[in-house]
Amino acid sequence: MNANEFDVIIIGGGITGAGTQRDCAMRGLRTLLIERSDIATGATGRNHGLLHSGARYAVNDAESAEECIKENMILRKIASHCIDETDGLFITLPEDDLSYQQTFVDACLRAGIGAEIIDPDLARRLEPSVNPQLIGAVKVPDGSVDPFRLCAANMLDAKLHGGQVRLQTEVTGFIKEGNTIKGVHTHNHQTGEDVDYYAPVTVNACGIWGHKMAEMAGVHVGMFPAKGALLIFAHRVNNLVINRCRKPSNADILVPGDTVCIIGTTSTRIPFEECDNVAVTPEEVTLLITEGAKLAPSLSQTRILRAYAGVRPLVSADDDPTGRNISRGIVCLDHEERDGIKGFITITGGKLMTYRLMAEIAADAVCRKLAVDKKCQTADIPLPGSEESSYEAVAQKIWETPSTAQKAAAARMGTRAARIRTGDKRDEALICECEEVSVGEINAAIDRLEVSSLTDLRRRTRVGMGTCQGEFCACRAAGLLAKAHGCVARERKDLEDFLQERWKGNLPIGWGDTLREAEYTQWVYKHVLGL
Amino acid sequence: MKFDTVIIGGGLAGMVAGIGLQKAGQSTAIISTGQNALHFFSGTFESLQEPSPRIVDLFAQAGIRLHYQPGVRLMPMGTFREAALSLEDIDFFPSAKIGRKALIVNFLGYHDFFSSFLAEGLEKQGMQCRIRFINLPEMEQLQLSPSEMRSVQIARKMDRIWEKVVQEVRLLLKDEDTVVLPQVFGLKDASVPGRIRQGVPAQVVFAGTLPPSVPGIRTQMLLKKRYELLGGTFLMGDEALHAHVHDGVVHSIVTRNLDNHYLEARSFVLATGTFFSKGLRSNPFAIEEPVFGLDVDYATERGEWFNAAFAQDQPYMQYGVKTADGLHAVKDGQPLKNLLVAGSILGGTHPELGSGAGLAVRSALEVVDTILQ
Repeated sequence: MNANEFDVIIIGGGITGAGTQRDCAMRGLRTLLIERSDIATGATGRNHGLLHSGARYAVNDAESAEECIKENMILRKIASHCIDETDGLFITLPEDDLSYQQTFVDACLRAGIGAEIIDPDLARRLEPSVNPQLIGAVKVPDGSVDPFRLCAANMLDAKLHGGQVRLQTEVTGFIKEGNTIKGVHTHNHQTGEDVDYYAPVTVNACGIWGHKMAEMAGVHVGMFPAKGALLIFAHRVNNLVINRCRKPSNADILVPGDTVCIIGTTSTRIPFEECDNVAVTPEEVTLLITEGAKLAPSLSQTRILRAYAGVRPLVSADDDPTGRNISRGIVCLDHEERDGIKGFITITGGKLMTYRLMAEIAADAVCRKLAVDKKCQTADIPLPGSEESSYEAVAQKIWETPSTAQKAAAARMGTRAARIRTGDKRDEALICECEEVSVGEINAAIDRLEVSSLTDLRRRTRVGMGTCQGEFCACRAAGLLAKAHGCVARERKDLEDFLQERWKGNLPIGWGDTLREAEYTQWVYKHVLGL
Repeated sequence: MKFDTVIIGGGLAGMVAGIGLQKAGQSTAIISTGQNALHFFSGTFESLQEPSPRIVDLFAQAGIRLHYQPGVRLMPMGTFREAALSLEDIDFFPSAKIGRKALIVNFLGYHDFFSSFLAEGLEKQGMQCRIRFINLPEMEQLQLSPSEMRSVQIARKMDRIWEKVVQEVRLLLKDEDTVVLPQVFGLKDASVPGRIRQGVPAQVVFAGTLPPSVPGIRTQMLLKKRYELLGGTFLMGDEALHAHVHDGVVHSIVTRNLDNHYLEARSFVLATGTFFSKGLRSNPFAIEEPVFGLDVDYATERGEWFNAAFAQDQPYMQYGVKTADGLHAVKDGQPLKNLLVAGSILGGTHPELGSGAGLAVRSALEVVDTILQ
């Protein structure tokens, strides 16, 4: 069989595509994942990183709520190294209607979500950063999830099951015979190569870009691009997720994640042309800060690290201008049944939380088409790194008396952290001091996780995500990448691109300490280092 | 406490002003928060080309030798910039082809010196480059710690063992005519870079590292020493909070540490730097000068503060306090008679004074002249 022939081609390196590839690969299929840039560059990496309990949807969308809580429990088991089991609060403020609380709790319980009304005093003790004026609080099993790590772990496991991955590779067209899709034409942006790949089934898992991909295949999928803007703060202000106990609205979720916390979001319909380059507006920033401070007042005094936005891949159902009332439900379209196009499936809608279920549904559809009778195993078998649930136990097993940097590595990599113990003490040198990322961890990511640039490296290791936003670590890491790839000229360009990308997130929030840090970074790179 | 002049800011501008005034017989105090732009000094006084004897002498008396030749200098990422008056650590070349073959020497485990970028930059100019790492047993303690292989820590070691580096370089050297070393020599003793040059049978070029800048910290220590030798009062780790101003005259300053005492003076110098050193403070709606509430020259629309391209010149870096009649500060549209401004807090408001370290020195000397008049 030809090296470019597979059982299934999956287009899209977000969490849905990576999850679908893992599922298919675990069922024994020969899989190929194609992604035009890097993993987790779309909505996967541009959200809160909230491990929804489902409570947010309980009142308005019982189906999504039930899916969420089930997947929530599964992810705690299979993706423990990507998850922080923080719990969450739904708070009622004096301006909110307290009677909504009971409606909310009833709906949660109906969906199977353990929601418990607690005394506001207890809420203030559990979460000292919460707005002390709260008049009601409900505790739910929310948490936080690192979507980059989750996506990388799925991709890695797919590879460990024989899957192949082509990043920086764009699908430029479909290979069609009559009404059957036989494969795809691709262009690799790095090597400039054009290659055709063949498979009896192709899965469109492109998120909001699935609309365009479907059009290229000759079918229409009506999508609704809804932009959501978010802000990252430089400290982990809260330890519990804080939500507002009212109908979902703007900027009413504050999620702690790693060393930071994230407030969001907004919801605005945007044209498809803007999906590739979404920018956060000053109005959105003001709204996020104002509403965020109602959840945790100290946010108004906390340095903002950056602003970013993602585009939800909602499937349009009505003409709701905000997209808030569209179901976040999963949509799997078999285009043979729907449009008479054979060998093509679209998996879309849904959300980060339900990616595994989406992948299962898509993989089931793939297997039906291929007449393969294999059961989904993704709910039971942990992702690589998540074989043990306590990162402290993992760190202890590897290093006996682990340093904080080693514990941080174990928290990021799970059991895979064993790879960074090379026996050379110099590999413990920190490249990124904000996030405590060592030479060893960076080299492990370069070796195993398909890193072609500093931005790719950031998604896999958190290099440059911390308070200095890459000021010091970017050029250090660039040195390691230049060595690994053997090309300094390319790395010079990469470093410039990385700094530009970091700068983009600073533009909407360029004042106070953010501007101070940005000034220092710009001065150092331009006048001191001479980049 | 009463002085002839109180200077707010202990960076290059504040220190030059202090030395100039002390030399002229004034009694002065410098209020310094501690860190300043000398900690990431490139070693070059941008925009100062022709070395004025006054500047060269002022630094020479502090033990800092400055030099200049027309041409280019090598930057840490392997690029070249136009030459300007510099510390003696910085080398000048007639053109970017600085030699035929270069040996680039780094320390094993040191990630803040960009040897591969330097090699690529030099190769672009037609040179052949070889990168070698040296590993001295004395460095082991630093290497074994995850965050000790940094410029200043290495420089402290090098003050004691720089001769061993010379030996290692001599052993590594084949037919190269140029040796490139990281700028981690002579933290305490400014003569070390020169002695390394004498010990190596090839032209030695020192290329910068990630901050902190070793030549910059040395410069700061020497200037401070000179200022204190001249009798100046250096208030280290203190911060000016606010000032008493009446009828366009500054009477005194309140600092964080001297909470019950006012610092009184006939003249005041503001040399607090820009945003990073908190000389300017910004919020979503405005840019302010926090000590005196001076008038600041900036675009009121925040969208105009930035260029969306990181690498381009940024408008916000040109913002500074307004001045009148030379370098007198302006508050509410009125010049303050005895408050003068020096250094980067001027932003781009005085293009004739240059930028960066060049602006710091020239504006400080102009302020000295104004005060002494």
